[in-house]
Amino acid sequence: MSSRLLSRAPQDTPGTWKSYLGLTAILLVSAFPVYWMFVIATSSDEAVMSSPPALIPGDQLMVNLREVFTMQDVYFTASLINSLIVALAVTASTLFFCSLAGFAFAKLRFKGNNVLMFIVILTLTVPNQLGVVALFIVMNELGWNGTLLAVIAPGLVTAFGVFYMRQFIGHAIPDELVEAARIDGALTLRIYWTVVVPAIRPALAVLGLLTFVATWNDFQWPLITLNGTDYPTSMVALSDLASGNYVVYRRVLAGAFVATVPLVILLLAGGRQLVRGIMEGALK
Amino acid sequence: MALTDVRVAHTEEPKHAPPKRPKFWLHRFDTKTFPYLMVAPFFVLFAIFGLFPLLFNAVVSLRHWHLIDKEKNGWVGLDNFTKLASDTDFWDALVNTFGIFILSTVPQLLIALMIANVLNRKLRGATFWRIGILLPYVTPVAASSLVFAVFFSRDNGLANWFLSLVGFGQEQPLDWRAGTWSSWIAIAVMVNWKWIGYNALLYLSAMQAIPKDVYEAAAVDGASPWRQLWKITVPMIQPVVLFTVILSTIGGLQLFTEPMLFDENPAQANGGYDHQWRTIAQLIYRVGWSDLNLGYAAAMSWALFLIILIVAGINALATRRLGGGK
Amino acid sequence: MEQFGRRALRLGAAGLVAALAITGCSGKSTENSGGGDSTITLKVNFWGDMGLDQLKTKYEAAHPNVKISLNTGEYQAQHQDLQKKLVAGSGAPDISAVDEGFIVQFREQADQFVNLTDKGAGALESKYLPWKWQASKSAAGQQIGLGTDVGGLAMCYRTDLFKAAGLPTDRAEVSKLWPTWDAFLQTGKTYTDKTKKKFIDSATNLFNPILSQQPVGFYSEQEQLQMEGGPKVAFDVAMKALDSGISANLASFQPNWDQGFKQDQFAVLACPAWMLGHIQKTAPDQAGKWDIAAIPGGGGNWGGSWWTIPKQGKNVDEAYKFVEWLIQPEQQIEVFKTVGNLPSQPALYKDPAVLDYKKEFFTNAPTGQIFASTAENLKPQYLGKKNGPTRLAVENVINRVGQGTLKSADAWAEAVKEAEKAANS
Repeated sequence: MSSRLLSRAPQDTPGTWKSYLGLTAILLVSAFPVYWMFVIATSSDEAVMSSPPALIPGDQLMVNLREVFTMQDVYFTASLINSLIVALAVTASTLFFCSLAGFAFAKLRFKGNNVLMFIVILTLTVPNQLGVVALFIVMNELGWNGTLLAVIAPGLVTAFGVFYMRQFIGHAIPDELVEAARIDGALTLRIYWTVVVPAIRPALAVLGLLTFVATWNDFQWPLITLNGTDYPTSMVALSDLASGNYVVYRRVLAGAFVATVPLVILLLAGGRQLVRGIMEGALK
Repeated sequence: MALTDVRVAHTEEPKHAPPKRPKFWLHRFDTKTFPYLMVAPFFVLFAIFGLFPLLFNAVVSLRHWHLIDKEKNGWVGLDNFTKLASDTDFWDALVNTFGIFILSTVPQLLIALMIANVLNRKLRGATFWRIGILLPYVTPVAASSLVFAVFFSRDNGLANWFLSLVGFGQEQPLDWRAGTWSSWIAIAVMVNWKWIGYNALLYLSAMQAIPKDVYEAAAVDGASPWRQLWKITVPMIQPVVLFTVILSTIGGLQLFTEPMLFDENPAQANGGYDHQWRTIAQLIYRVGWSDLNLGYAAAMSWALFLIILIVAGINALATRRLGGGK
Repeated sequence: MEQFGRRALRLGAAGLVAALAITGCSGKSTENSGGGDSTITLKVNFWGDMGLDQLKTKYEAAHPNVKISLNTGEYQAQHQDLQKKLVAGSGAPDISAVDEGFIVQFREQADQFVNLTDKGAGALESKYLPWKWQASKSAAGQQIGLGTDVGGLAMCYRTDLFKAAGLPTDRAEVSKLWPTWDAFLQTGKTYTDKTKKKFIDSATNLFNPILSQQPVGFYSEQEQLQMEGGPKVAFDVAMKALDSGISANLASFQPNWDQGFKQDQFAVLACPAWMLGHIQKTAPDQAGKWDIAAIPGGGGNWGGSWWTIPKQGKNVDEAYKFVEWLIQPEQQIEVFKTVGNLPSQPALYKDPAVLDYKKEFFTNAPTGQIFASTAENLKPQYLGKKNGPTRLAVENVINRVGQGTLKSADAWAEAVKEAEKAANS
């Protein structure tokens, strides 16, 4: 198909063996820490302490897992459920609110549309991590510190999500479709549900994946607000595992491995969507 | 709401409305007010959990807001900031943050560029490679940092074993956490590992948007692939490079998880016995939630915010100059 | 892709509903757990192992309406966390252990704790070592804690490694090896020269016991930082140890320290009574390879804790009942036998169950006799409000020398600087 062009553009230059060798090396480096996490998670203390340290999985996985899950002060089981609750709640709400707002910005005419959208984009640049001290005080006033609400509420809707949805809806849905539905007498919310949502499922999948991954992996704010409570997220529980008086590497990494598995599964199931989402300019 | 059976005629004049049309006020509400309700959640939530904390942070930073030594609590003007100016802990942390930032950003973006350049070729299993390099991106930072913390241990660490294979440190293993540089490098490795694949995909998407005839034209001049990358590709994707530089600046200057979990005892938030790898974000955590000196922690946050603004601005300018410099 | 989108959407919607339901529910259920005749849960925070596992089962069996939730954690972190929860006004455990290093900090905030005299603890005063009772009492006379253990001081050593190095192994003879700290360092040098292995685990674990032997610690009773007194003495010995190369430089209670045990990386460890439990737990297969000798430099006290009841708890009465039960002789003796923690009630030092007790793990060392005799004659040290952070700051400096990034000659000035910073934090 590219016979008209000189085959000098990189897109048309076939990969050489060197390209494949390089990519294989990159892939190995990318996978090694996760693999080694698994190795230590399946090893005994002796294997961890030997020199060279274990490089092949051992047979102690169940032993280590049992230890992790039965450490009652770490609440590991509960932490996984908490992480799931938080990540799902944030993801669902982000998808809903962002697509709703994105739809309004992309297709509805209302006064101040452009100005408001500009503000949304502007807020993208605010590193809100820097407000943690005040956020902590706010949550204290609300009485939410130490509860899952404290980590769910700030993530319910994101500027990036609104922006992303506006772009997607702008391209994916012809104005005529919205107009036709309106002429049929449908109210906006109904148009959103019957016309917009079905058309933007791929975008919802992408945004959903990105949001889920980011929320599951969030560490600093959950650590500040949930550390030392009975409701840690799995990341906070991990840091607990790593900072007791009897820290055991195989146990720490068994926990880390368990907390990583859901994301690896997600990558396997939705890798295409993630790649696409990021290539469309996703922020972390 | 029984909206399904509602049918609207073409005219919008309410007085000609046939009996079955939606009520005028409903229609008006739906087109005039409802859009605001649709975008309101974002603005309300951002105001409460984004903007307000940031502004309130400024208020807190002007007060002595200590959770234990309460007797001194009250307005102190710029005292927290003057204290900051002469606080060696803060400046040391700033140096550490920048050191780690440079060690992690420069290789990260360069390697990402190389990988993107390879991925931009015509490859078998293109999707497979792209998904594969995203594994670090989805791996929780906390989990990967803990792996690297074990990886870089002094006794029986895997990193030291690799070093010993090339004949280094056999009699005295390298104590990665002891030295300033070695600890920075270890942390930079974690950051690089995490973000290279992600940035490579960003670059790749920009590269694929470059029209092929740009290369065609250059081919006449006999550009080698290497020259092609630097002379054509990079200038063409300059906006994305700029974007990644700003992103890495914002992220890199707020680095927290990696240095935090690199500590042998993360609960102490030491950043090394000499605090040789303690970053600003970590110092803020320590001052705020160990010393419970929230006013001072807030002042540090604001200082960091300003620094990020300045650095991101400088980086943006520099990148534009570099990329666009003809 | 289309399919995935739909599935994700449905999953997400279901998730939101579930999440709201669950967060809503869990919020309610905690409120309910307070009243009525339903079971109540007492959350107990501490660090390391305080020998409560079996006692918990016992207490729960006798009190079917009470569940005990044990939360061990890291030493510094648990105290910081308690402080955080006190100022936040919620989230504190029902019962929290407080170490002597932090007791002054917390007794200054006695209003945040249940005054145990109100619950009838006054009657217990006569049972306690007088200084132990006083240390947890605020200036206004509120008693915030009931003492559990005192540390005492001894020196644990590995008989098998001593033998291999040609050193005596009998505890009396070993004690004679080191009447002073200088003699101790000399022994270390001999050991290291002979075996090419390190003698002590870390210099901080010399600094702490030596500091606790001094009449005055970091702070005077007027809360003045006094580095030139006791801290200087302890610091100098720590520096000498580092300079003579007998330290394995393993930070205590960290994974590398645990590995150090198993790989015989050190042969002695200064051990207050509570350390015995740590040793047993960290190196269970070294039973019979440890013994306990006298510590150089005379008696002292390192560590020991109180059980406190933060006021914000919903079940302070039940919490007090449990604490009062915990400090009864029978329970204290059981804790002593399982983990080694020495009770702070002098009557128990005469109790045959303590006095005649021999610890198998430590080559049948009579731990009761060893620790009880030192504990009774203790002159306690005043530990200031900022003792915890100050100690951590000085330990950091010692560790830097151990890592080789700070010269021992420059270390003292650095330690003073860091300690002052901590005092003013």
